[in-house]
Amino acid sequence: MADAAFLALTVITIGSAIAALELRSLIYGSIALMGTLGGIAGFFFLLDAPFVALFQLAVYVGSIAVLILFTVMLVKRELIFKKVEDKRRKFAGIGLMMVVMVGLGAVFLDSGIKTITTDEPPVDFRDIGTDFVTYYWPALILMGLILAGSVTGALVLAKREDVENDQRTN
Amino acid sequence: MSALAPKFKLSEFIKSLLDNAFWMVLLVSLIGLPIIQIILFYIEMPVIDGELLTPFLAMTWLADPTRTLPIVKAFMATDMFRVMAFPGFGFAALIAAATIFVERKMLAKLQLRVGPFYCGKIEGILQLMGDGLKLISKEIIIPAKADKPIFWAAPVIFVATAAAFVALIPVAPGWVVADVDLGLLGVFAVIGFFPIITILSAWSANSKFPFIGGIRALFQMVSFEIPLILSLLGVVILTGTLNLSEIAASQSSFPWIIFLPVGAIVFFITMLAELERIPFDLPEAESEIVAGWLTEFSGMMYGLVQLGTYLKLYAFAGLFVVLFLGGWNGPMVVPPFPEELLTGVEMGPLTVGPFPGLPLFDQEMLNGTLWFVLKTVGVIFFILLPRGVFPRIRIDMLLSLGWTKLIGLAFVNIFIALGLLYAGVLGPGGLQ
Repeated sequence: MADAAFLALTVITIGSAIAALELRSLIYGSIALMGTLGGIAGFFFLLDAPFVALFQLAVYVGSIAVLILFTVMLVKRELIFKKVEDKRRKFAGIGLMMVVMVGLGAVFLDSGIKTITTDEPPVDFRDIGTDFVTYYWPALILMGLILAGSVTGALVLAKREDVENDQRTN
Repeated sequence: MSALAPKFKLSEFIKSLLDNAFWMVLLVSLIGLPIIQIILFYIEMPVIDGELLTPFLAMTWLADPTRTLPIVKAFMATDMFRVMAFPGFGFAALIAAATIFVERKMLAKLQLRVGPFYCGKIEGILQLMGDGLKLISKEIIIPAKADKPIFWAAPVIFVATAAAFVALIPVAPGWVVADVDLGLLGVFAVIGFFPIITILSAWSANSKFPFIGGIRALFQMVSFEIPLILSLLGVVILTGTLNLSEIAASQSSFPWIIFLPVGAIVFFITMLAELERIPFDLPEAESEIVAGWLTEFSGMMYGLVQLGTYLKLYAFAGLFVVLFLGGWNGPMVVPPFPEELLTGVEMGPLTVGPFPGLPLFDQEMLNGTLWFVLKTVGVIFFILLPRGVFPRIRIDMLLSLGWTKLIGLAFVNIFIALGLLYAGVLGPGGLQ
């Protein structure tokens, strides 16, 4: 069962990644990108990490993909992209990708990942929280400061009345 | 002679009806019944009275009312029943349909109109059915230059996403379609899909009004998602769990709205914005951009989007009830199941019963459902109410409200929750 799910997810993820690059229509390309990101969320589910998987869905599919879609819709693609149809470039790209994937695969297979066998229960998100406030507390504080800074920045940017009024008069 | 169908003949009409009936009977008996039998062989059948229920037994028992109950009860324990009927789609669709009717009628009364009146004699009670029939029978028109695959898929995916949202809402103890450990995160993930579907369907219609509406919807939903998520963190901090059933169960003595009223208000406002209700109905502003992102939908496609919208409304109201109003908790008002029905009732010389399979639902579940539905209906009422009263707000006001005021209030709410926790009012050693 898990194997079948893994295979299906692999096909979805890699297939839609290729589609995202190769499709001529940018909208369909970004939908395919959503498929890739959703497939990765599926891998996290398969790895018993539902916390990460749901965040992957909420952040990547729910926000990043929307951002890309939105940008694509507001842009006329003829203005930015010139159609470059070059067979040699294409095959060089595919070849490069194969080399990188084979290299990465060799590294993974060599790293002893095959000897790992685990039947442990999924990590509880409360454990993640406990780790964050004990061992990783500097990282937590740093993240908190960065987030607070960015939220404050967003609020300040949103409150900039002067720019808005200038734009209105133009 | 009618003007619409000048060559209408009653005899031919009746003949066509009889034809249809004949073909239906023929097809059901030749194809339908064998298919049912084949499917029944592959479904895992329950054991009733120590006897495995075979398809043949099931067919015979269905004819005997006293033996039907155990089959019904066994069916109600299956996942299929949960998904299709009770806490899932059927129940939510029923509430959604009732909401549509009540909304129209109530708005009319608020504005001193009569609303639906003629259909069904009594206060237009059959209006909804009439509208449904009209939507089903209308032609589906696709704009000539629309992007057809996305345009066709959008309403279906919209309803599916709304149904996924409904599946996460617990109605009574143990009665939830998907009892996920990270239910609240699941809700955030599902909510994130709505803007995508909206903007895709708006873009695919290839028309300016849907596109403007879609972009407005995207702005609105994305900017209000942040205060929505932040406003719910207070409850998570106090309960220490993301499971919606556990959050509902944690409010047996008091609902969280008592301690977190700020969060509840922020959540309610963001809920109105996510649902595109007045005063935040800019995506569908019918006085400016026809019907917003719904403009090009016709026939049952529009019906599906409408169904999805109201399913979403029910799910949001249910989420509010589960998080802030105590979910299914409430005083026990449902009477206990009459004991004599279990042993058999003596009626003079006759003894009726005992009825095997009773009671179908336990008392706790009925009571929980009753309170959940009452509270949800109340919340839905408050969601509908602004539509009769408020005007639409400007888009810059909407965005500044979402990005500045509501996010700030949501943080205040989180600090209230932390303060309550650290002061020892709630949490370990406190009230709960």
